[in-house]
Amino acid sequence: MQISTHELKSKIIESLKLQDIIPEQIDDDAPLFGTGLGLDSIDALELVVLLERDYGIVIKDIEEGRPAFRSVKTLAEFIAAKRPQ
Amino acid sequence: MNKISIIAASMASQAGLAGARLGQRFGRLDLQSQLALLAVASLNVDFTAQPPDRIGICLAASAGSLSTDINFWNGRNGTGGPSPTLFAYTLPSAAAGEIAIHFRLTGPNLCFVGDDKIVLPEGADLIRRGDADGCICVFCEAVSADCGKLISLPPMATACAIFLKRGDGLREWREFDRDMKPLCALISPAKSAV
Repeated sequence: MQISTHELKSKIIESLKLQDIIPEQIDDDAPLFGTGLGLDSIDALELVVLLERDYGIVIKDIEEGRPAFRSVKTLAEFIAAKRPQ
Repeated sequence: MNKISIIAASMASQAGLAGARLGQRFGRLDLQSQLALLAVASLNVDFTAQPPDRIGICLAASAGSLSTDINFWNGRNGTGGPSPTLFAYTLPSAAAGEIAIHFRLTGPNLCFVGDDKIVLPEGADLIRRGDADGCICVFCEAVSADCGKLISLPPMATACAIFLKRGDGLREWREFDRDMKPLCALISPAKSAV
C-alpha cells in the first residue's frame, strides 16, 4: 500500500521536532542525512522508532534499513513494501 | 592581566522558549538544554570575536538531568521503546555540549550538579589558570512536576547566564559574586558591555 510522502514528511517533522520547516519545503528526493535535511545518527534512531510505532515495521538489521533512509521517497517506498497488511 | 570582568548577563524562562529561534534542531533539545542555550544566546555576545578554543563553558544544573531521566524512563513502555533523542540528554553535561555545538566553541567545559554558587568561581578559575580567556557561566533549574515530587522541589524552568572575560567589562568580577540569579537580575541585557 502506497503512503503519501506529505504524510511521511509531516510525521518526520513531528517526530524529530524540526522547527521552522513545513512538509512542502522537503524535497522527495533530497538526502535525509548529511546534506539535504541534515539529519544525524540520533535522528536515524528516532526514525527507526517512528517506523515501528506508526507503521509496525521493525528494522532488526541496520544494513537492511540503510538504503531506505536515503530520502523521503525511498523511505515511503520501503514502508509501502514492508508495512504489515 | 589578572582582572576578570562580567561582560554580559541574561536570564531565560520557559515562557521565552516558544518564541526562540535558535535553529531547526532547537526543538529536539531537552528543556534544560533549551533553557541554557536560550540564556546564552540572550547574552548577545559575539563569541566569534575570540578563538573558539579560548572560550570555556561552566554549567551547573540544580537537579542534574533528573527531569529528562524520568521522561526517558516513562517512555520505556511505548511502542518502539523510549526516545533515542531523549537518551542523549540523560546526562547533565548535555546542555554544555549543545552550547558548544551551537556557538562552535571548542574550549574546556565543566559541569556540576548543585546550586549556582559554584559556577562563577569555577569559571573564573578557568580564566585565571590560563585555560581560557573567557567563560560562559550557566545555571539551570529545570525541574518537571514528576521530578519535583521525587526531590521535594516545586516545578521550575529557568536558566541564567553570565559571560566572564579577562580584562575590562561591565563590572569587575569579585570572589563574593557567587549568587548568579540576583546578579543576572541586576545586570540587564541592555547594560551588557559587548
